[in-house]
Amino acid sequence: MKGIKPVTRKELYHILRDPKSLIIIFIMPIFMIFIYGYAISFDLNNINIGIIDYSKSDLSEKLQGKFLNNKYFKLAGPKADDNRSIESYEKLLKSGELDEIMIIPGDFSEKVKKGTPVDIGFIIDGSDSNTANIIYQYDEMILMAFIEDHQNIRDMLNISTKIYFNPELKSAYFFIPGINAILLMMISALLTSLSMSREKESGSIDLIFISPIKSYEIIIGKTIAYIFVSFLVEALILLFSNFWFGLPIRGDILTLFFFSLIFIFTGLSLGIMISMVAPDQKTAMLATLLATMLPSIMLSGFIFPITSLGKVLRVISSIIPATYFLKIIRGVVLKGASFSEFVTDGAILILMSIILIAVAAKKFSKMRKVAG
Amino acid sequence: MEPTDSMNDNIIEVKNLTKKFGNFTAVNSINFVVKRGEILGFLGPNGAGKTTTIKMIIGLLRITEGKVIVDGMESGKFRKRIKEKLGYMSQKFSLYPKLSARENVEFFAGISGLGRVEISKKIDELSRIIRKDLIDHSVDKLPPGIKQKVALFTSLIPKPEILLLDEPTSGVDPEMRRNFWQDIYSLKKEGKTILVTTHNLDEVEYADRIVILHRGNIIVEGEPAQLVRQHGVDSVETLFKEAVKKDERN
Repeated sequence: MKGIKPVTRKELYHILRDPKSLIIIFIMPIFMIFIYGYAISFDLNNINIGIIDYSKSDLSEKLQGKFLNNKYFKLAGPKADDNRSIESYEKLLKSGELDEIMIIPGDFSEKVKKGTPVDIGFIIDGSDSNTANIIYQYDEMILMAFIEDHQNIRDMLNISTKIYFNPELKSAYFFIPGINAILLMMISALLTSLSMSREKESGSIDLIFISPIKSYEIIIGKTIAYIFVSFLVEALILLFSNFWFGLPIRGDILTLFFFSLIFIFTGLSLGIMISMVAPDQKTAMLATLLATMLPSIMLSGFIFPITSLGKVLRVISSIIPATYFLKIIRGVVLKGASFSEFVTDGAILILMSIILIAVAAKKFSKMRKVAG
Repeated sequence: MEPTDSMNDNIIEVKNLTKKFGNFTAVNSINFVVKRGEILGFLGPNGAGKTTTIKMIIGLLRITEGKVIVDGMESGKFRKRIKEKLGYMSQKFSLYPKLSARENVEFFAGISGLGRVEISKKIDELSRIIRKDLIDHSVDKLPPGIKQKVALFTSLIPKPEILLLDEPTSGVDPEMRRNFWQDIYSLKKEGKTILVTTHNLDEVEYADRIVILHRGNIIVEGEPAQLVRQHGVDSVETLFKEAVKKDERN
């Protein structure tokens, strides 16, 4: 075990004195979070809504007002009292001038007053399912608010949808924990894969190989150094998300840190595994990005819900470490979920790490025993 | 089994050593010995197979055919014990550039299994070799000659009996090179055996014996002065050029 300390120290010195690496490790996450939190926004403003009001009552006007007096909806198409046919509105939906049509039935006011249930019609442009989904959720949100305003009609509108955890549907809240998981996986894997392949490329590995240090001491030494660095990155990401985007951490921060450490360990192990196969730094970098970025973004539930994936993809999703950490971080950060809910996910991550590092260590000693 | 006196005389014996990379034969069944306590100059143009040979001796490269015997032990069977006898200075890498001389020594001493007291002793020794104010400079800012000294120092940390130096003087100015050879000489006086590769022919005079490698074959072997006399040439440089020319004609 004596060999671990010098390796850890050497790695830390090396990384902390390398401005290029530091920029990648510490600036890139901020940059990515900035992009995902801000620029790539799923938040929709100015949804073009066409309103057909057959009721033309005080109450229906109030409902119209509820829809239009916010940043989300903008009245488009013919004027509400123009008495145009639904078909003419549909045409506008087709041409893209309208995103949505709301139809208030003629008996809206009467039915509400009488206390009978009433339906309000919405026709949404579904060509972009994601947008349609959001519009639908906004509709529900505004109808809910309308009901809140008119306590007496509470039982008349059959809306039972509620949005938990992210009621304002802020896409930043949805994206940031996700991008956090992906960044952490990518950076931790990059750190070890580049470090090991750098030793291969420079030839320093030869000097290590002929020294009496044990192979596992090298791997553990490097892992310890980069657990430290990756953990700093995670802390930075959380701080930035909190201060800049107001991302709340509703659960226990220690729980989050604990699982972050496990996830970092998985990432580092993956990086070591990759560096065993990659001959140089360039290959290691490309392989690491491919192995972490793409599957993590597409298949971890970051953007597409896992339930919407096909059978084969779901199996692949289940072997992606980010899938588990994403569940944990969204759970702890947004839902305030507790430690005990993620024991299985944590165990799976640990198992993955152990398998990866065992295979890597075996390959490493094989590489070392090359002569004879 | 080899006779005992030959085991004592020849600290390294290379027998029919061959290395093939696919269809390319980098080292072609070469035979030579390194005598205990001598400086053997291993010469040859770039790509002659010098580094490949050294790497096979040290156990960093798989031997295709033949064998290497170090101090009576065959390399395949006694890898660990052989490693303890060898110090290696690589042509490609010697020191971590972002670490200072002190930190490099601490690292290599640490992975060689030295304890804290021994390591601080090593640092004391280092400060006698290079100027004290240079000890904490990162290595990539040190002049090549100083770097060389530190690299040689680190390769001596495991207290090896045999030093394998692969192109130790490339990229170093003549003055520093002379300095370096003085260091090698004092190591020889301490009883160490040194195998040094170079393509600087003016360094040949420092070696007790030389082996010239060309395209994976040994084309000349012997004591420099004797070789010059034998072949009736004015210098080893001429001898080298003629031997290479002759080998290329064949």
